[in-house]
Amino acid sequence: MNIHTYEKAWLIASMALIVGFIATVTYGAVGPGIAMIDDDGGSIDPDTINDDERFSDPGVTHVGGNEYEATVVAQAWLYTPSEITVPANSTVTFYVTSRDVTHSFTVAGTNVNTMVVPGEVSQMTVKFDEPGEYGILCNEYCGAQHHTMEGKLNVVPEDEFDLTEVSAEAPNEAQFGNETTITATVSNGMQDEIETTATLEVGDQTREQDVTVPGNGNEDVEFTVDTTELGTGDHDWTVTGDGHEDSGTLSVTDDSEGGDDDA
Amino acid sequence: MSSGTRQDDPNHVHTIDHEEYDPIGTAILIGIYFVILVLLWLFMYFVEFLGNGPTVIGVVLTVVGLT
Amino acid sequence: MRNAYVDQFPEEARVIKAAFWSSFIALTIGGTLGLIQALHRTDVFRFIESPDYYTVLTAHGVLLAITFTIFFLVGIFTWAVTTSLERSIVDIRFTWGWYTMMVIGSVLVTITIFSGFVDSIQINADVLFTFYAPLEAHPAFYIGLVLFVVGSWLAGVDWFRTWFAWRSEHSDERIPLPTFMVLTTTLFWYICTFGVALSILVFLLPWSLGIIDSVNPLLTRTLFWYFGHAVVYFWLMPTYVLWYVMLPKFSGGKLFSDPLARVVFVLFLLLSTPLGIHHQYLDPGIAEGYKYIAMTNTMFLLLPSLLTAFTVVASMEHGARQRGGKGYLNWLTALPWRNPVFTGMALSGLMFAAAGFSGMINAGMNINYLVHNTWWVVGHFHLTVGTAVALTFMSASYWFLPQLTGKELWNRSVALTQVVLWFIGMTFMSNAMHRSGLFGMPRRTAEPQYQGFEFEPAVGTVGEINAQVALGAVLLTVSLILFLLNMIMTSFNSTSDNIPDNTYADTLSGPEDSPDILDNLTLWVAIAVTLVIIAYTLPLASIVDSGGLFGPGIDGYQLTIKINPTLVLESLQEGIR
Repeated sequence: MNIHTYEKAWLIASMALIVGFIATVTYGAVGPGIAMIDDDGGSIDPDTINDDERFSDPGVTHVGGNEYEATVVAQAWLYTPSEITVPANSTVTFYVTSRDVTHSFTVAGTNVNTMVVPGEVSQMTVKFDEPGEYGILCNEYCGAQHHTMEGKLNVVPEDEFDLTEVSAEAPNEAQFGNETTITATVSNGMQDEIETTATLEVGDQTREQDVTVPGNGNEDVEFTVDTTELGTGDHDWTVTGDGHEDSGTLSVTDDSEGGDDDA
Repeated sequence: MSSGTRQDDPNHVHTIDHEEYDPIGTAILIGIYFVILVLLWLFMYFVEFLGNGPTVIGVVLTVVGLT
Repeated sequence: MRNAYVDQFPEEARVIKAAFWSSFIALTIGGTLGLIQALHRTDVFRFIESPDYYTVLTAHGVLLAITFTIFFLVGIFTWAVTTSLERSIVDIRFTWGWYTMMVIGSVLVTITIFSGFVDSIQINADVLFTFYAPLEAHPAFYIGLVLFVVGSWLAGVDWFRTWFAWRSEHSDERIPLPTFMVLTTTLFWYICTFGVALSILVFLLPWSLGIIDSVNPLLTRTLFWYFGHAVVYFWLMPTYVLWYVMLPKFSGGKLFSDPLARVVFVLFLLLSTPLGIHHQYLDPGIAEGYKYIAMTNTMFLLLPSLLTAFTVVASMEHGARQRGGKGYLNWLTALPWRNPVFTGMALSGLMFAAAGFSGMINAGMNINYLVHNTWWVVGHFHLTVGTAVALTFMSASYWFLPQLTGKELWNRSVALTQVVLWFIGMTFMSNAMHRSGLFGMPRRTAEPQYQGFEFEPAVGTVGEINAQVALGAVLLTVSLILFLLNMIMTSFNSTSDNIPDNTYADTLSGPEDSPDILDNLTLWVAIAVTLVIIAYTLPLASIVDSGGLFGPGIDGYQLTIKINPTLVLESLQEGIR
């Protein structure tokens, strides 16, 4: 076959170019260690998402050290959770699946970008170095309101991050003159234990108690409330621990003044 | 040669046949294109892509997987 | 004595003319919709509801990427076979048969899509050009697509039959280059449409008819992309046919190399299909190894296009020098820039060179994280199918319509303005799209303006990008109107004797220089099929193994204009729980 010298040279240059492209991509996989989404996440029946241990309560969990997992359920047209917070200097493995049609889970302005196909779980590990705020958007058409589908990813400074939750149990009503109890439960989602002070503010009373919550566990703190000091009427209360709080209202009534029969 | 291939360009000045034709202009243009491709590829990969913030990482363990 | 195509092959001319007009109608509707989209997305002018945007987008994609391109292809290929074999189609009634089938298919698809605008009709196909399950369209949508594709298969049968008839009388001759190109393209079309035909006939159509309950979305998606990449070469090959066998002639020269042209087309036959997974780099359920294989195949498929660049430019240079051009680069000025046919094709080629750059990025496996489903990809294919293919087709029409009708082109200046305007419009629009993809601007989105965050371009602003897209779209629409004007006015012209003869380019290095093995179509098909089997068997087996052939019970969704409040409530309840 009669190929002109110049074209032969171009053929060789083209092959070198092609090999160079493949080599660059291979370097990206080996050097910076970039991995593609693959079949590691396994498959799933979308109808069983709520019963799946990963997706029944989607959100961020702490694995240990700087490692976290974030599970996300995508559906038309929202993400659950719609806001994800992780600390800087962490390695987060995302597990994302869809309840209905194909979506994407894409952190705008970054290389965190995956398809979310119903029947499959997308698994990807990302290292977050610096704090920052990112938008999450869906870039795979998923129906009439596809353009409204968005979320938020917050990478916060390490000292601002925790997986603590505070909830309180308290009666709605109490009889004047009796003691009543408000129980605060401090849950710790981190694997390492936390030491904090639980505080109850009710009326103008404040009670404090130091508490140590074990890793991946919770601790109850009981606060006794003297209704005599409070007086009758509605009193707002707030329970605080490790920067989180829960609140409610306690009504102190006096049955001797002819109230309800169901004391 | 089939009749489907006659030349009829009114601006035809002279005929150049295969032996005497060296597409030097093409070589130059293609060479410029090659340089552009290389520079743009390097820029795109190392600046735009690797500089685009958090990226999906992992260990390349399995090459092909069949469950 | 005039010797235009209509004089040589009057019956074929009629059907080719019909195919071209079908193509132009699709182009007009699809192109106009593009303007609506561009103005809506950029928030320059919104007069439709955003959910309707997706109906518009489906029509735009299907009409332009399937209807416009393939009707033009069947016209060009019929011309190429009859002209180069110097013989008629075996049975012109068969030709009208497949053409009619394609028309019926197109009409069905179009009606189904456009019914999505009318709420009271419960028919719609708001599924976009890719129709990914579990998004579901009305059965007529899938039936229409099937009819259209089967029609195109029969067109291929027509060309093969004609070649067989020629071969029985010319058994020791090389296949003329244009016919060789048609045959190799047809063969890879059969190979690649197999996947999407399977997806529609076995899964999506029965599912939309209620015959089966569920599909496996990843499986049907993978079968689509088995077809979805190769289809772009079905658009590109007629473009290459025109660049190889017509552009050298318009440049005043000869095709630089026949053998290399054959090599290019053989490479496309071999490699077009087994790289479809590069559209699924970010899909779960497909192992990284298969994605890597798809990447290497894709990267190697850059080769025939890079070779084409050299051969086509060398052919142009040959023409320029035969016209008196001199110097290292000065010969460029000796090219026939006043000829809209030449200029349109040359500008298309230039734009294709730019597209090659964004294409090589798209081929890259991990760099895909940067660009996947962003507007970068849309910028890329508006350079390729939107310009290299579409502008070449329009430019070629300025030569072909006179050939098919015996009427001179209505206005050469308008034609020249048209091609230049298209090039300028696309330069604005596509560069803005590419740049916006780099900061994450999504594709396929009616309102890329989000509540909780702003895009952060490293260079420039979103406003300026939107302005360029809107401006580009307007220029393209004006260009489209000029094209249509010229085509219509040419049809109303009186006939003329001043039409050039129906010829194609001569070659500097002819088929006698090309090894016989290149014409061994059976060999190349065998290798092509083998490569497809290697690339696809394991990934498909893996997908079926883990998700089931018919999926784990996945219903169809028509998440369209009419939002079912009960469904939304259920969804929200699921989300809150």
